[in-house]
Amino acid sequence: MIPLVAVVSLRGRESRTLRVWVPLILLWLLLVPLAVLLSPLIFIVCLICRVNPFRAFSVGWQILRALNDTEVEIEHRSAGVSICVF
Amino acid sequence: MNEHRRQILQMLSEGKISADEAERLISALEDRPPVGSSQNVSESATKARPKYLRVQVDSEEAGHEGPTKVNVRVPMQLLRAGVKLAGLIPQQALNRANQAIHAQGIRFDLSQIKPENLEELIDQLSDLSVDVDQKDREANVKVKVFCE
Repeated sequence: MIPLVAVVSLRGRESRTLRVWVPLILLWLLLVPLAVLLSPLIFIVCLICRVNPFRAFSVGWQILRALNDTEVEIEHRSAGVSICVF
Repeated sequence: MNEHRRQILQMLSEGKISADEAERLISALEDRPPVGSSQNVSESATKARPKYLRVQVDSEEAGHEGPTKVNVRVPMQLLRAGVKLAGLIPQQALNRANQAIHAQGIRFDLSQIKPENLEELIDQLSDLSVDVDQKDREANVKVKVFCE
């Protein structure tokens, strides 16, 4: 399953936390037509670089699927940012 | 009869240990889960397959207001996919990288790295645990890398 939602949390110095839920599914829906349009170009680039385009697509898809449950948290002094992908 | 139990009883009959000691040894044997039991198998299975690689950095510099903390959780699946991505590197790029590595005096051939070897390497990461603790006058830095 590809990630559907990303939660971005921003914490300012006043301990206020802004939490944004990013619906990634909408992003994917927007990107699919673009990917379809660009696929011939990507195919040609892969052939020029001597990379198997089907393998490249497969690896790209696996990376996208594996992004689930990725979490990055950075805190500096009293401010912080956190990104979770579900 | 269990081999260990038989040895304990033999030691008792030979007078090497007292009845109390024999009783304690037998009860200790009973408390210990048998080798190859389902619990052991499930424990080793879960231990062998960690789900995430965790990187934690905790840094505190002198003269700054507060510490800097970084906490990254990377799914092992992402590492595996990333390894496969490395397999897509074109031969020309590999040759260039090899030349650059050789120029540094390192005898290493990147083209010898096979995806199956890297898979094995990632599987072995389950036992990885890196703990770095640096303390000096200017900074106090702790880095932890482990699988969970």
